[in-house]
Amino acid sequence: MIRLENVSFSYANLGPTVRDLSFHIRKGEFVAILGANGAGKTTTMKLIDGLIRPTSGKVTVNGADTRETPVSQRARQVGFLFQNPDRQICRNTVREEILFGLQTVRGEEGEEALKQRVDAVLEDFHFTGDEEPFSLSRGQRQRVALASILAVEPEVLILDEPTTGLDYLECCHIMDRIRRMNEEKMVTILMVCHDMEVVLDYARRALVMAGGELLGDGDVRTLFRDTALMERASILPPQMIALGTRLGIAEADTPETMAEAILSRRGGGSA
Amino acid sequence: MREIFQYVPGTSLIHRLNPMTKLLLTLLICVAAFLTGNLFVLLGLLLVNLLIGFCAGIARRTLGVFKGLMKIAVFLFLLQVLLTRKGTPVFWIITDEGLYTSAAVVLRLIVVCMPLTLMLAVTRVSDLANAMVQVAHIPYKYAFTITTALRFIPQFLEEMSDIMEAQTARGVAFDKAKGLKKLGMMLPLCAPLLISSVRNTEHTAVAAEVRGFHLRTARSGFRHYPFHGIDVLTLLAGAALIALSAVI
Ligand SMILES: Nc1ncnc2c1ncn2[C@@H]1O[C@H](COP(=O)(O)OP(=O)(O)OP(=O)(O)O)[C@@H](O)[C@H]1O
Ligand SMILES: [Mg+2]
Repeated sequence: MIRLENVSFSYANLGPTVRDLSFHIRKGEFVAILGANGAGKTTTMKLIDGLIRPTSGKVTVNGADTRETPVSQRARQVGFLFQNPDRQICRNTVREEILFGLQTVRGEEGEEALKQRVDAVLEDFHFTGDEEPFSLSRGQRQRVALASILAVEPEVLILDEPTTGLDYLECCHIMDRIRRMNEEKMVTILMVCHDMEVVLDYARRALVMAGGELLGDGDVRTLFRDTALMERASILPPQMIALGTRLGIAEADTPETMAEAILSRRGGGSA
Repeated sequence: MREIFQYVPGTSLIHRLNPMTKLLLTLLICVAAFLTGNLFVLLGLLLVNLLIGFCAGIARRTLGVFKGLMKIAVFLFLLQVLLTRKGTPVFWIITDEGLYTSAAVVLRLIVVCMPLTLMLAVTRVSDLANAMVQVAHIPYKYAFTITTALRFIPQFLEEMSDIMEAQTARGVAFDKAKGLKKLGMMLPLCAPLLISSVRNTEHTAVAAEVRGFHLRTARSGFRHYPFHGIDVLTLLAGAALIALSAVI
């Protein structure tokens, strides 16, 4: 679905921001990109959507080279949530904002169908629709931006820090919705997230980046247990994983499973 | 486009000049451009601009700015040539005087715009503000206002291109539209841009205030900006430019 082959990119006259990236993401995968600030995560995502073109190497989405198709044509296939929601919001009410994105890419479905989509999304995100985006709080604006991207129901969702600034409940609610899209509609999810607990709970595969290079690619849990890798990428793995690694318990990653594993071990030892 | 006003680090002679010298030289070149109507003097001034850019090791930026200005210049030139009725016709409705004055106007525009962007490319805005306070004894409040306004320009451009990027990703066909059509698509985006700019300004003001902006005095700066021989030479050269353009 998404394929990067030896992709490098440098901004203007600076050195390369990302170097020699190669990976392949299949349809329906839920992938997290991990790495410290400035590791090149946002740059990689922009490369995938074709907002920037690789200096060398090749990016293909659904077999089409990003250099050959304009970004706006890809909007129906690929939804992009930007790190800063204010860059995206451009309408006076939440309803109009959500409708705007739908009209540009799904205009042919007709007023009525679009209106239904908007209403469903508004309800899902707990908006009445008449709010003014620019007088909402930062976290609320983040939700507006996310709502208008999800409403389009693209095949691929690229989410640059979708949960920053959201409270715990809202974070779970939104991530659950994203997971539903992933499981029910086979939407491919690619997300940057600095909250490792969220990554552990939702993502299945992770790409670990540092200094513009891909250091690791694989199952989230396996990568989190790789202490050396985590250190090189300046990532603090979730506490349960760290505890498990320390105790040599590989299968536990929630407090419940961890407690069970410890208890059964103790039981085994004393008997 | 977005880096047109940004500082380019360097250690060239031009970089090391006193910020006030650079500011004054900029003004001198602008004044000279307005004093003269002679095409050759204007061309000379343009050459001086390009030379300064090359000496400062920012040739690419200089040429970039020049190319950008040329685009506007060509448009203005055509308009001006077609609308001037004075003088003897050379070809169709084009007159010799039209050609001459249009060339002068356009050259003047380029010569006036270039030094400002060049100066900002070789001077840190904070140095400019500090030097204004220390050397020219401008109250810090005003120096801060001027330099902050300058800083907002690239930020504004950057935000515009980010917003367009985000809208393109949502399917607005910025990447396929050209010219007037693109301009028409950009207009609706001005509202969010204005809102976020006003918000930015407000945030900057509040952030400055909570860090004790009102306590700051001229004596707070820790860097000093002495004038050297080279500064004097540069200013003399600038004055010579003025004299030359006033006489010819
Ligand atoms: N428009 C740009 N022009 C020049 N350099 C840029 C630009 N955008 C990003 N960079 C540089 O590229 C590097 C990687 O940036 P990127 O935004 O991809 O990081 P990131 O991994 O998304 O970081 P964060 O976690 O802070 O979002 C940074 O060092 C940054 O300075
Ligand atoms: Mg980022």
